[in-house]
Amino acid sequence: MATPEPPLLTMSGITKSFPGVRALDGVDLEVRAGEVHCLLGQNGAGKSTLIKVLAGAHQPDDGTITWRGEQVTLTSPVAAMRLGIATIYQELDLVAGLSVAENVFLGHEPTTAGFVVRRTSARTATAALLRRLGHPEIDPARAVGELPAAQRQIVSMARALSHDVRLIVMDEPSAALDPDETANLFRIVTDLTADGVAVVHISHRLEEIRRIGDRVTVLKDGRAVAGGLPAKDTPTRDIVAMMTGRNVEYVFPERPSVPAAPTRPPVLRVEGLTRQGEFAPVDLKLRPGEIVGLAGLVGSGRSEILETIYGARRPTAGRVLVDGRPLRPGSVRAAVRAGLGLAPEERKAQGLLLLESVTRNVSVSSLSRFSRGGWLDRTAERAAARTATRELSLRPDNPDARIRTLSGGNQQKAVLARWLLRGCRVLLLDEPTRGVDVGARAELYAVIRRLADDGLAVLLVSSEVPEVLGLADRVLVLREGHVVHTAPARELDEHRVLDLVMEGSPTP
Amino acid sequence: MTQPAPVTTAEPPVGEAAGRPPLGLRADVRNLSLLGVLAVLIAVGGITRPDQFLDTSNLQLVLTQASVIGVVTVGMTFVITSGGIDLSVGAIVALASVWATTVATQEYGFAGILFTAVVVGLGCGLVNGLLIAYGGMVPFIATLAMLASARGLALQITDGKTQIVTVQSVLDLGVPDAYILGIPPLVLVFAAVTVIGWLLLNRTTFGRRTVAVGGNAEAARLAGIDVRRQRLYLYLLSGLCCGIAAFLLIVLAGSGQNTNGNLYELDAIAAAIIGGTLLSGGRGTIVGSVLGVLVFTTITNIFALNNLQSDVQQIAKGAIIVAAVLVQRRTARGAAEA
Amino acid sequence: MPPTSRRGLLFGTAAVSAGALLTACTSNEPKNSAPATDNVPAAADKPGTPVTIGFAGPQADHGWLNAINENAKARAAKYAEVTLEITEGSNDTAAQIGQIQTLINKKVDVLVILPADGKALTQVGLQAMKAGIPVINLDRVFASPQAYRCWIGGDNYGMGLNAGRYIGEQLKDKPNAKVVELAGMDNLELTKQRTQGFDDALKNYPNIRKVARQAAEFTVESGQAKMAQLLQAQQQFDALWNHDDDQGVGALRAIQQAGRDDFLMVGGAGAKSAMDAIKAGNSVLKATVLYPPTMAASAIDLARALGQKKGVSGMSELEIPASITLYSAVVTKENVDDYLPTGFS
Repeated sequence: MATPEPPLLTMSGITKSFPGVRALDGVDLEVRAGEVHCLLGQNGAGKSTLIKVLAGAHQPDDGTITWRGEQVTLTSPVAAMRLGIATIYQELDLVAGLSVAENVFLGHEPTTAGFVVRRTSARTATAALLRRLGHPEIDPARAVGELPAAQRQIVSMARALSHDVRLIVMDEPSAALDPDETANLFRIVTDLTADGVAVVHISHRLEEIRRIGDRVTVLKDGRAVAGGLPAKDTPTRDIVAMMTGRNVEYVFPERPSVPAAPTRPPVLRVEGLTRQGEFAPVDLKLRPGEIVGLAGLVGSGRSEILETIYGARRPTAGRVLVDGRPLRPGSVRAAVRAGLGLAPEERKAQGLLLLESVTRNVSVSSLSRFSRGGWLDRTAERAAARTATRELSLRPDNPDARIRTLSGGNQQKAVLARWLLRGCRVLLLDEPTRGVDVGARAELYAVIRRLADDGLAVLLVSSEVPEVLGLADRVLVLREGHVVHTAPARELDEHRVLDLVMEGSPTP
Repeated sequence: MTQPAPVTTAEPPVGEAAGRPPLGLRADVRNLSLLGVLAVLIAVGGITRPDQFLDTSNLQLVLTQASVIGVVTVGMTFVITSGGIDLSVGAIVALASVWATTVATQEYGFAGILFTAVVVGLGCGLVNGLLIAYGGMVPFIATLAMLASARGLALQITDGKTQIVTVQSVLDLGVPDAYILGIPPLVLVFAAVTVIGWLLLNRTTFGRRTVAVGGNAEAARLAGIDVRRQRLYLYLLSGLCCGIAAFLLIVLAGSGQNTNGNLYELDAIAAAIIGGTLLSGGRGTIVGSVLGVLVFTTITNIFALNNLQSDVQQIAKGAIIVAAVLVQRRTARGAAEA
Repeated sequence: MPPTSRRGLLFGTAAVSAGALLTACTSNEPKNSAPATDNVPAAADKPGTPVTIGFAGPQADHGWLNAINENAKARAAKYAEVTLEITEGSNDTAAQIGQIQTLINKKVDVLVILPADGKALTQVGLQAMKAGIPVINLDRVFASPQAYRCWIGGDNYGMGLNAGRYIGEQLKDKPNAKVVELAGMDNLELTKQRTQGFDDALKNYPNIRKVARQAAEFTVESGQAKMAQLLQAQQQFDALWNHDDDQGVGALRAIQQAGRDDFLMVGGAGAKSAMDAIKAGNSVLKATVLYPPTMAASAIDLARALGQKKGVSGMSELEIPASITLYSAVVTKENVDDYLPTGFS
């Protein structure tokens, strides 16, 4: 497929920072006309940010974009569209109340005298586009809200094609589709590339990449760890290793020479915990001082298990016991009272009070400790919060700093300090190093190990296999909502875990 | 489960704990800008009508006129801080004021009127709270429904007629003889509600939870806060403030009417917003809200003293809202960059 | 001057006399003891052919509008052959149009319409007339005379005029007299007309000067608030004209709170509470200028006469007049007993 002419698109050294985290750190991407270029990476690797830069929705801090040999600046989505770059987002950006034809021509309606919309010609043109996409059965006059997800995807595609498009970016287009619909989508992609249109395809599903991809770029921690690999021939294990592995060698803290005494009674027991459609019955025991890791790919049910233990989701069966006493199911408050604490995956959306100071973020779960009859002792609150943050070496050492201004790693420490202050005994960590700069991770690992050494029980979820292996004492490997293997971390290595998480790789 | 945190052994940093939090300072800066607006208004009033404006009786007048809407605004500030909205405050004031002034209620005298006003306010707040916290309704819709029904019920009770208060002890509360050290009792109630509101928001777990729910409801829930119960309490609080305001209005107007509290919801929201409370929740200031109310009341006063008509007053009110919010955005941005 | 008030003036002179005749004949002002209870109907009072009258008014959220509804209902109940189809009151133009169209579709014999907004409802008035249903336009006038068969209503300009005259006569010997005006809702045309009439009357008294005017909103609450401000602004004045007795309750409260009694006050509309105060004579309120809600009873009489193809008794013409403007009488302590029965609460 490769052509001798210059690449259609070259992005080089693209850097983009948000407060607290560097989302893209010098990413290179090269796309040729007529190819399907797959973009792979874990959640948070920077894929979404990269395509938003490409769509003109984000402005990069640094780096250049070259389009058909000329350097360009994509100041807005409209500018990107004018060049012929169309993006189909994961959350489809269609207007449910408008008809198919109105959506397809939204913003560039065919008009008479500049403002009278020529509805008939818009409908005819839409019908032609839908035929080209193999879906003549979609009525251009129907409201988009009435269509099933798969057909909406087609409408998005038709909208992209209604422009003079040369590059289509598709963000996980198959996520909402069944196998037949996916097959049709891939047929359309093949037709488009035959016409010389390039497709940037984002997916978690390796077998899709094998089917339609030409080349692969793998993103990790805001960097392109590999660019332009042949999609058909690169071994799956190499690709997964690049996604889940380490591009920097970390120093993991020493495990205690004597493993947590198996004689000590478990503080947390999970018995047959199930959520229909998300994960099969899970059994689990967690002793004080022990770190247990859950390893698995996206969609394996790892975050769901954590949130169900915590009461944020209601189980369909099974129970959670702390010190042998069952928790009221589906109640976060019951879990917190019993001594559980969660550091959620989406730290900003689920964990932090972004307008508030460090102190208030730390003390929020322990307010009654600093109050008498509802009256707050703010001096005691501030002092205790500061003690907790100092314990974790949170920087800056200023309890009044706004949490928003902290780096990702320090924000995570604030969340940990919250539970430390609460006197929590079981810590549930969901992707604790997500959005944490690579350099700051080792320190966070040391903190987590120290908390365990002080007697906390830690349940760790991570999509990074080396992180689970390096930090946990015991590992549960998850695949499609099932625990497929349980073993001490010492007895596992990265390859073995990768084989386990991918075995009989998920079906589309 | 009550095992203490393993960290309390460390020495609390005594010296630094006494330092003033910059967050508080920033809120003060916002209030300062509003104080500036108020100072300008006072200068304008003093220059244009020196005899009438800078007079004790005028100060009493402005504060009295601010009392009713001021009490409502304190309750509204809590609701907005929690990320909600209460569109029904004006209607609740109307309903509480007419229910408390029916012939039947007036037979129970002072206590009957006060009790009815407060209970009706609390009852409406309870319905709002249950619908929003446990019924899963959007605050905008639930309180809009309450607005319509409470106004309708108020009209049904009065049949469009004005209900004159005949209980002398209630009427006496609104005349100069009742002033305590020159302060009208209505103003004393307003001041008390303000102080209690400030303490509640800034010095109690209730206030802290309100801010947490408004700042990030999901994070508050995962941090172990009972978000739904907190929401219920907040709408109850707003209803209580409406009940108190209804009683003040009965004293002030010597009557109950179904048209009472007209557009209070907009005035209260506007006062809270120009005061610096975030409409999206997560940040609220009682002092700012009260200053916002005083700014509006002072504008009305200055315009009336200068015999300017209501069209000009409305234009000026709109301009002040825009100007105050623009100034705040600038200060807020400055503070964020600092 | 707004067009409506010019119209009011033009037929004012012609219609006031006709109106006076009608008033004398319907006799619902000076003598009766309750609105429309024991008075003599306009046309012959013996039962005639059955008439269905459709009545559409605004939402009765205010004392005067409530009295309008009550007067209409009470008068219709007096006639065995009259059926009154009364709609749910609405202040929303679209809703009121819908309600009137329903009445047209029901093929009522005569329509009595008090529009929430006269101009906005003109079309539906035209529609009814075209459908052959005569329309009695009550008080707030349609934009086109083609939209009604007969207009009957109060005289806002005359109200201001009479209030001004009364105050003028009281103060004519006082040098440098000051008056203050507490107006109604400023976004209503009738408020402008009342103010205009008041100002025009005061021009006849060069010793009197209007020193302040503030607009309230016909509510007790706004009356109290605006009056309190006026009292603060004007430490001394001789007379006050308040456009509306409902807001007057609040104004009197503010006056009481300010401890002022050094001026005379004239109200407007004719609420029972105002008349009681005038009769008692222990407050600043000395008079009120009528805007009688009994016009609704008269409108029912006219509608019945139209439905039965009769004229107005006491008039020579065979036909009902095209417009009738009521007289805004001034109620004082001397004549308050005559008017008390028409006072509304």
